[in-house]
Amino acid sequence: MRSARLSTLFLLLLSCIATVTSPADAQTPKRGGTLRVAYGNEISGLDFHTTPGYEMIWVATNVGCGLISIAPDGKFLPDAAESWQISSDGLLYTFKLRKNVVFHDGTKVDAAAVKANIDHIMDPKTASSVRPFYQAVHSVEVVDPSTLQIRLKHPYAFMMHALAVYRMGLVLYSPASLQKYGPEDRRSGKPEAEASCGPFKLVEWVKGSQLVMDRFDKYYEPGIPYLDRVIIRTIKDPVTQMAAFKAGEVDFIVDFSADHVDTLKAQNPRAQILTGKEATPMVAMMKVTVPADGKPGAKERAPHPIFGDVKVRKAIGCFGIDRKEIVKIAFKGQATPWAGIIPPGTADTADVTSACPYDQTKAKALLAEAGYGPQKPLTFEILTNTDKAIFNVIATVIKEQLARIGVTANIRIVDKVTWLNGVVAKDGPFDMYVEDLAALLVIDQNLYLSGTTAAWNSARHTDTKVDEFYARYASELDSAKRKVIAKEFQEFSVDKLYWNTISGSPFYEIAQPWMKGYVYQAEFKVRYHQVWLDR
Amino acid sequence: MRVYILKRLVEIVPTVLAITFVVFVMMRSIPGDPVVAMLGDAYTEEDAVRVRAEYGLDKPLLAQYGIWLGKLAQGDWGVSILSGRPVLQDVLVRLPVTFELIVLSMGVALAIAIPAAIIGAVRRNTWADYTATTIAMIGVSIPEFFIGVLLLLLFSIGLHGLLPSSGWAYLPGTCPTVVCSASLLGNAQHVLMPALALGVGRAALLTRLLRASMLEVVRTEYVTTARAKGLAERPVVLKHALKNALIPTVTVMGLQVGFLIGGAIVVETLFAMPGLGTFGIDAIIARDYQQVQGFALITAVAFVVINLLVDLMYTFLDPRIRYA
Repeated sequence: MRSARLSTLFLLLLSCIATVTSPADAQTPKRGGTLRVAYGNEISGLDFHTTPGYEMIWVATNVGCGLISIAPDGKFLPDAAESWQISSDGLLYTFKLRKNVVFHDGTKVDAAAVKANIDHIMDPKTASSVRPFYQAVHSVEVVDPSTLQIRLKHPYAFMMHALAVYRMGLVLYSPASLQKYGPEDRRSGKPEAEASCGPFKLVEWVKGSQLVMDRFDKYYEPGIPYLDRVIIRTIKDPVTQMAAFKAGEVDFIVDFSADHVDTLKAQNPRAQILTGKEATPMVAMMKVTVPADGKPGAKERAPHPIFGDVKVRKAIGCFGIDRKEIVKIAFKGQATPWAGIIPPGTADTADVTSACPYDQTKAKALLAEAGYGPQKPLTFEILTNTDKAIFNVIATVIKEQLARIGVTANIRIVDKVTWLNGVVAKDGPFDMYVEDLAALLVIDQNLYLSGTTAAWNSARHTDTKVDEFYARYASELDSAKRKVIAKEFQEFSVDKLYWNTISGSPFYEIAQPWMKGYVYQAEFKVRYHQVWLDR
Repeated sequence: MRVYILKRLVEIVPTVLAITFVVFVMMRSIPGDPVVAMLGDAYTEEDAVRVRAEYGLDKPLLAQYGIWLGKLAQGDWGVSILSGRPVLQDVLVRLPVTFELIVLSMGVALAIAIPAAIIGAVRRNTWADYTATTIAMIGVSIPEFFIGVLLLLLFSIGLHGLLPSSGWAYLPGTCPTVVCSASLLGNAQHVLMPALALGVGRAALLTRLLRASMLEVVRTEYVTTARAKGLAERPVVLKHALKNALIPTVTVMGLQVGFLIGGAIVVETLFAMPGLGTFGIDAIIARDYQQVQGFALITAVAFVVINLLVDLMYTFLDPRIRYA
């Protein structure tokens, strides 16, 4: 009923997510071969319901299958479910399952299996990273072995997105393996514990060495996948990645460093450089409140001594930062200067960057209004981490720009875990941090990073208007009206600056010319099911 | 001799315990909590409290160490907090890679250092001596990663993939994984650049040290006597002088193992090798306490055992040395 309408809501993604298919895709795909993939970071674990990190997601999208998937243009695609219907009030989702889908352990994918997985995710004991996306779910009912109904408590416009793509989407495990094996078995990548229903089955994961997955011959789509095997290795150093690519040791690099793209292009003119509009924001986040009693995490909040004042936030974050210069220096021009809470590549985005032009005079005037000037100079700390070199480059450029308006910014560099603890877990005493946060297909996902009650609300703002915007947006089933709400929210956000985006953070994938059939879907999906090698 | 070895082996226990305890305390003293990394964006304080209790991280420090030690006594090295993988299993997979790298880099170091030092000592103050000394000086001054990048640019990019830039091929019959490449040639190709990168710096250091020892030894009376007896220069230098001059060098070689493990972290990361170095650094960065303990334990044992072997080598190099 509403499925077609919902799926067309995100046609905008056509402009956000680039689909890259080479002309050779018209050729007949060749069967066989091993695809050698390099990731820039280690896979942290393989429990598809709990483990954090994109690297895990990029395995889950190949070993796992779900109810539905999503195309680059935002259309929902059948996966284990061959069709679906959504009631006109948006409260009842009915999925018809294919009859020929089996898990890697040979058991059948039926409605009971899907229910077992959703129940497992919704169980607080599982501590699933996708559990917040199921908050609207009232119940999951098995109508018959091939029919499943999900009933919602209230209309939620993004239930299909949650199932298809939020983080890794819903990844189905065989209920037998869920029962037999514990979370540690899944996290550690024990192949028997990873019994899902994707096109590839896990052969082994030796942390620090390689992850191997082989074609699953009983995959429901006949003849798919084409590849016999995929081997994933971690190569952290971009120079080594380039050397391995140049020497033909790897066929595909996922998440290639933006500042090395030009060098790689020059060395490999035939390489396929895959990218699209940025769906990840690069932020210079300012802390808005601190615990009133000094105890981290306290509910009673007091304004942050510097950035609790919106005038200072705007002086520094809005007018004091030259976004174009940051992009030119840090990204070598390969990113979009941006100020809105929704990155340029996310659905319903609106460019509100013009609200924050680089204006030293305005910045100084606002600082003077807030009581800062030559008599009382403003000094604060920029916290950044060693996860990506670009964070430190950006922090340095910001420091230089702020010096021009008489503000001293001291940079503190810590490692990622210390940063995580300082920023998230311990309600840390930071003033500003530079980071690129999660990729956002739709703004609704950002509730879990910026709602007042979100653990990841690192600015610790307490403005419930933000929650109201998210709630209005997510419960509005009319896409046109939702777009209006999104624009209003972005304008509100850039005015309050609880969330200070400075640019998009580009994402690159690099493929050898002989790698065919791959479809670029940014950080959201890295799937090899239609990939073939033309060597 | 046996008594001496037994005594030294017994001494390993308190040494290793002390090292692991210091590492244990240090890891918990630095900021960062593995539970935050483990939960990622699913982090909530309630879940964090539950997971900390699950892994015993809420217990007092000494109790945690006691639990770790108790499990270790039963052969259980623990499980990685982040990946859930058994620590011992991962250590055993990675140990041979680093072991081979360290042995070969030491081989590279000796292969360069011994002839360079001999030339430097025998032809003192000639162009050959100056060349060897200068090269040694340059070698000491260049960090491993820089040499590694240069080698990478030359052999992997410049010479069109003559040597593989990353990864590993195991020696035949030693493959610890289900799917792996194993061949003698492949192994040699993979280890050559990392061993060179790691060995050149050590070679430079050993050259300087050995040259100084050789200069002392060639002036001793027994070398003069050997020459006076009419022995040819080659046996005088190689048999009489070099063997004795090697004692301080061997001592330093043993101590250098610690530096080599440190260097292995850099080199293994650069060449994306699945060794203990990358295991250790990843564990420290992620605050994966169990893995860090495993890394500390294996490196401490290796360091102490290698230095015991070095001590035993003295008896071979100088028969006058006896262990009571």
